Amino acid sequence: MRLAAVQTAALARRAVVGTLRTPQALFPSLFFPLVLMAIFTASFAAAPGRIPGFPPVRGFLDFALSGAVLQGILIGGTVAGAAFALDIEGGFFDRLVASPASRSAILAGRLAGGVALALAQTVLFLGVGIAFGARVQGGAAGVALLLVLAGLLAVAVSGLGIVLALRSGSSEAVQGTFPLFFALLFFSSAFFPRETMTGWFRTVADVNPISHLVEAMRAQVISSGETRTTLIGLGIAVALAAIAVAACFQAFRGRLRGAA
Amino acid sequence: MGVADVRLAVEAEGLERRFRGGVVAVDGVDLAVERGEVYGFLGPNGAGKSTMVRMLTTLLRPTGGRARVAGHDVARAAGAVRRAIGVALQDAAIDPYMTGRELLHLQAVLHGFDRARGRARARELLERVDLVDAADRRVGTYSGGMRRRLDLALALVHEPEVLFLDEPTTGLDPISRLTLWEEVRRLNAESGTTVFLTTQYLEEADQLAGRVGIIDGGRIVAEGTPGELKAQVGDPTLTVALADPGQERAAEAALRPFGAIVPGRSGCIAVRLPEGAQALAAVVRALDEAGVAAAGLDLARPSLDDVFVAKTGRHLEPEEAEGPVGRPAPAAR
Repeated sequence: MRLAAVQTAALARRAVVGTLRTPQALFPSLFFPLVLMAIFTASFAAAPGRIPGFPPVRGFLDFALSGAVLQGILIGGTVAGAAFALDIEGGFFDRLVASPASRSAILAGRLAGGVALALAQTVLFLGVGIAFGARVQGGAAGVALLLVLAGLLAVAVSGLGIVLALRSGSSEAVQGTFPLFFALLFFSSAFFPRETMTGWFRTVADVNPISHLVEAMRAQVISSGETRTTLIGLGIAVALAAIAVAACFQAFRGRLRGAA
Repeated sequence: MGVADVRLAVEAEGLERRFRGGVVAVDGVDLAVERGEVYGFLGPNGAGKSTMVRMLTTLLRPTGGRARVAGHDVARAAGAVRRAIGVALQDAAIDPYMTGRELLHLQAVLHGFDRARGRARARELLERVDLVDAADRRVGTYSGGMRRRLDLALALVHEPEVLFLDEPTTGLDPISRLTLWEEVRRLNAESGTTVFLTTQYLEEADQLAGRVGIIDGGRIVAEGTPGELKAQVGDPTLTVALADPGQERAAEAALRPFGAIVPGRSGCIAVRLPEGAQALAAVVRALDEAGVAAAGLDLARPSLDDVFVAKTGRHLEPEEAEGPVGRPAPAAR
């Protein structure tokens, strides 16, 4: 048990170090969310309070912050999945499987690496937001809850990336899901409140789990953590993370059976 | 297969791997490799060598038959197999963003070494494979030969009982290839490590392996020591081109003590040389003493390729230029 933990930590460290040493992998998950956050904040600075239905916030930046955090995690998850696929393509994965490392450590190492990067990134985004005048109304507890949500979501998204990697064995296939994540993001309340949407778009955003996740994060920033919203978000995050982890193990077994 | 034979490092019985779509990559292979042996699995691309290695190293489940490695069943005791084996797979599977030392440390952790022991072992192995200077550089900057050496070092971290090398020198330049061969020989001689290697190069199997299994179409078509296999095809033949065709009789007389004279082209004398290249010096001396001037000497050894042709009707290496060091055909010119 202790050995599995040490192995997981070593593999997680390697996942983090590998990502930090590939700026082209790190760049998109930092650049796009921050740029979008800046553009939206500049464009809609006057929106809160003037658009009917817009939630009460201090400023648009407070509102946009959670969207950036979530977007960063989605991109980071595909990067983690693609990195895992590269391990498979390059044969590093085979080396791990042929070693006595436990199956759980191989998966948990990559997931933990993804979570560590997601948390570091979330802290960075919060820091940038606060530097530009955002405020987390939920205080320390709010930040903690936001990090828990971010971590769970990172498990879910990295996990999904890993499943795709194990099934396809191709980093291109994993990266190919990137637009899908983007669509999921734009058809949600990540950037604008559901209250200002209408018709079918609103319906899609209502059922899109991303909406509920981002609103749970946002609740920590713009209010002191509205309980119902927070619980719904946490529930969805836990469920998605659990499903993703289970799917990882199943895909791992499938790969060893050799479906090729 | 019943009770494990403790003398055997690798044993397979009717081992088979079918893929979806009905492709049979390994088609009922029986195998027995003794502890301390260097066993060469020789065959062309797509013969089933890698599939065989993937099954023996627990990376792929067999679809039929059984296999034991270091006494453990690959399907039922995969964990025990993994602790006993070292694996260096095709193309040196190494993370380019890590340094050699970092990868060795990681590998040591995966084998349950504590930090201090892992570091000491990494230093030892870096020295052994001559990568001390490159240890803290990212692997992406390594040459092909350096990668293979690091790959080998990674496979040796836990002093495995059985070492699997899948095409260890494919794509390497001749010097790097020789260095790697030397290391494999040393390992086998000093630590008694059993080595199971696959190769598509005759020279490599010939140089390294005590015993060779020739695989084609997922089946073993011939097995034995390189000498035995070649002897099945025949002795090497030395052809002496005479500077003066009038010296034919004198040349024949000088060569007869070395072996049977066989029909040669006109102006040439050909003799079977069971001792091969080792007899060359004596042959040259004998010709010299008989006053025979040779315009050229050509030693044609039956190669493992001849064995392969005899067993399958095809050549192993269609383009000789792709071969490693080149076939040892012309010993002198």
